[in-house]
Amino acid sequence: MFENATKQLRETVEAALPELNTVVGWRAGYDPLHMTPVFIKNAGDLSKLEWSPFCVQNLSGYLVKDPAVRAQDPSKKIGICVKGCDSRSLVALIQEKFIERNQIHVFGIPCRGTVDWRRVMKLGPLTGIQSARVEESRLVVEDANGGHTFALEDVLARKCLRCAHPNPVIHDVLIGEPVTPRVAVENSYGEVERMEEQSLEDRLGFWKKELDKCLRCYACRNACPLCVCQDRCIAETREPRWLTQRVGTSEKFLFHFIHALHLAGRCTECGECERACPMEIPVTLIKEKLNKITLELMSYEAGMDPEAVPPLLTFNPGETGL
Amino acid sequence: MRIGVFVCQCGTNIAGTVDTQEVARRAGNLPDVAYATSYMYTCSEPGQQEIQRAIREKNLQGVVVAACSPRMHEPTFRRAVERAGLNRFMFEMANIREHVSWINNDREANTRKAAELVEMAVAKLRFNQPLFSSQISVNKRVMVIGGGVAGIQAALDCSDGGLDVVLVERKSSIGGKMAQLDKTFPTVDCSSCILGPKMVDVVQKDNITLHAASEVESISGYVGNFTVEVRKKATYVDWTACTGCGACIEKCPSRKVPDVFNENLANARAINIPFPQAIPKKATINRDYCLHFTKGKCGTCQKVCPTGAVNYEMQDEIVTEQVGAIIVATGYDLFDASVYGEYGGGRYADVISGIQYERILSASGPFGGHIKRPSDGKEPKDIVFIACVGSRDASVGRPYCSGVCCMYIAKQAILTRDHLPDTRVWVFYMDIRAPGKNYDEFVRRAQEEYGVQYIRGRVGKVYPKGDRMVVQGNDTLLGVQVEVEADLVVLATGIEASAGARELAEKLRISYDQYGFYMESHPKLRPVETNTAGVYLAGVCQGPKDIPSSVAMGSAAAAKVQALFSRDTIETNPQVALVNERVCISCGKCIQVCPFGAIQWKELRGGIRKAEVLPSVCQGCGLCNATCPPKAIQLQHATDNQILAEVNALCA
Repeated sequence: MFENATKQLRETVEAALPELNTVVGWRAGYDPLHMTPVFIKNAGDLSKLEWSPFCVQNLSGYLVKDPAVRAQDPSKKIGICVKGCDSRSLVALIQEKFIERNQIHVFGIPCRGTVDWRRVMKLGPLTGIQSARVEESRLVVEDANGGHTFALEDVLARKCLRCAHPNPVIHDVLIGEPVTPRVAVENSYGEVERMEEQSLEDRLGFWKKELDKCLRCYACRNACPLCVCQDRCIAETREPRWLTQRVGTSEKFLFHFIHALHLAGRCTECGECERACPMEIPVTLIKEKLNKITLELMSYEAGMDPEAVPPLLTFNPGETGL
Repeated sequence: MRIGVFVCQCGTNIAGTVDTQEVARRAGNLPDVAYATSYMYTCSEPGQQEIQRAIREKNLQGVVVAACSPRMHEPTFRRAVERAGLNRFMFEMANIREHVSWINNDREANTRKAAELVEMAVAKLRFNQPLFSSQISVNKRVMVIGGGVAGIQAALDCSDGGLDVVLVERKSSIGGKMAQLDKTFPTVDCSSCILGPKMVDVVQKDNITLHAASEVESISGYVGNFTVEVRKKATYVDWTACTGCGACIEKCPSRKVPDVFNENLANARAINIPFPQAIPKKATINRDYCLHFTKGKCGTCQKVCPTGAVNYEMQDEIVTEQVGAIIVATGYDLFDASVYGEYGGGRYADVISGIQYERILSASGPFGGHIKRPSDGKEPKDIVFIACVGSRDASVGRPYCSGVCCMYIAKQAILTRDHLPDTRVWVFYMDIRAPGKNYDEFVRRAQEEYGVQYIRGRVGKVYPKGDRMVVQGNDTLLGVQVEVEADLVVLATGIEASAGARELAEKLRISYDQYGFYMESHPKLRPVETNTAGVYLAGVCQGPKDIPSSVAMGSAAAAKVQALFSRDTIETNPQVALVNERVCISCGKCIQVCPFGAIQWKELRGGIRKAEVLPSVCQGCGLCNATCPPKAIQLQHATDNQILAEVNALCA
């Protein structure tokens, strides 16, 4: 069912390609459960471009973090393929003036959810995967031991199961038909609510246990499209000296809460931090809590309106809600 | 760094509950501390000399004084270390009085806390850097916001001192609440007779620019160099042409316009001059009632105006004024008596507010100075005054005393008995507050010479009976219930912050209390200053007060401005934000959040943009620092590393 969408995506990109520097999209990765980013510069590369529920990566970070993408012919736009969640990162980057709307050509793809390969692997240890495809509400995988079928609900990424914005909020062209959201945003914070019901001790215990696993590899930060400080990140500077190289949960805590606070009212919950974490720490959950507060206090949802000003990036003496 | 620590005993203020010797001993063990001692009164002349001696003899590079709140004496000690050759920012203060000795009696805990506060101060000082001020020029023009008696006095005093003054008044005439009063206590002299000449002076002074019917739109800049945008509201009459002849008012067919100046006891016209002594005496059209604006078919005033001043097309105009200081004298409003439903204010025509009675008493008022009641124009035979309506009552959010009502009731009672000697007057009161010069004598005169019946107790209910009102209350001195039948009930409505006071405070970046009154810098020692340099307060906008106090405060604010303007330049505060360009990621978030517009883009070679702070505009609030993700922007003297050092000292 995704062959048609891939075909349509390739045709649309091909039509727009002469006006574009590069198109950032997805291509097949090292096995059928994995995709990897691809940079299409000419029509010859088009056959690499793919769209499927395995296209998990949020590519918008390349627009601000990859010098190769940025340093191109300024008279031409950069093309980028986005899912609903990814498009909100674009909006946030436009709001913060890291990119200009008229510099990018957005190929928007309504998305029914992406597959979290870790959940697949936990359900059934697979070896030598030969093919993987999503059919209606099932994931069918063939490996060395034959065929395996999984219910899609069991293997979708956590963020997809609570997705309120499956359709790109900005796009120049839309590939396929819009999708009905699973939940309204007000109802999308069930996990945070379950955390909130726990006692302070239990929550502290939970986060101590989770964050103690942190290696401080900073993959979460590097994957985040809105973590734009790069090598000026205060996790690694001595001036000011917020963090040291000391080993211990307190330094890990501090890093994750600095990361979360820097994203308060900005995070679009694309889930890249959590996906990139090699230790499987639910780090997006911290940002979800902050976003829930932002929604409740200031009725603001990040990355929805390119003209809006994120509430913590402005000074308004008449601030209501606080 | 070689640091000296001086632990002040403040007589017994600190030493009473803190072992200052022990605090000094522990400080001596801290890293970089080369000298630590305890002293009786560190702020005294010998105390300061002791610091200076130690700096020289021990070759100190930084000094910590553990004493009182830095609010008062930080400048004292900064000057002291500067005289001994140190930079004034190589000094830190630990507050072990207000934060320790005065709030707890546990000597051991106090000593420990004091020692920890000293440790924090030392830890911060180790990261301190010498900072230097620069000089900025002063624009010697002053703006006065509000043209009541306090603002008029401030404007006239500044003008007399040779300063250019810009006076901004929201209404179409200056004069404020005092212009509405009939007589003033305790001398019972005519209000407009004493205020009028001052109002006239305002327009006759060449160096006062008056913007009436105008409001402050926005304020930017800083002490010495404010830029204020003033919105001159459309009056639909060209005031340069209007002579105030009143021909338009006479002919205006819209005659049912509430007369605001007369507290709605009479009707005005849609084109109006609020009162005969108005300054400027210029007509203004009220759009809400003008037939030209509401029905689109009248132009009488335009036709009859002998100078052709009426202009229906007039628009609001924004004028920009550059000033070096601002005096805020925005006055007050009166409590809405209808909040007390049981008194019937706003419901019964013959239950009126104190200011309405003031207009009734006034010879230029709705009844020409004859006391009549609003419902049927009869002379009242029995009048009841009810004190503290919207004062000293936490249940209506007004727990404070308005300070003037006891006095104005006494005045109105005396005037009533003067006008109508046969009328009987009752006053229901909670306490008599008459603490001014000749004030208590005045109230006694009302009671003893004028036979006004003072009943100590609250009124429970006021209700109509026939064409009269029944006032039910209790007399707490006799312990009995009282019922008085009256023809007229006057509610002594209290003072509340002026409408829009909070919004103006935000523009001025000054603080206000929970009731909307502006906060002075120090309740005793800096009563007319605000915490924003160059902004001063006068009159009731700071809190309830009577006319003499308002006038005194107007003069005091003017004196403060004169002192400020006696210098040609002002020293800037170097405790401002500073950008480390190597770290700045050019995201511009600091520019977006700065409440003062103090940060701008700076273009480097190759079109690279970095944030840049304008030190003279920066107020050092730290919002940019909190927002900056890589912390490239740091508040000098409160850098992240300095604060982290303090936190680490405390938490280690």
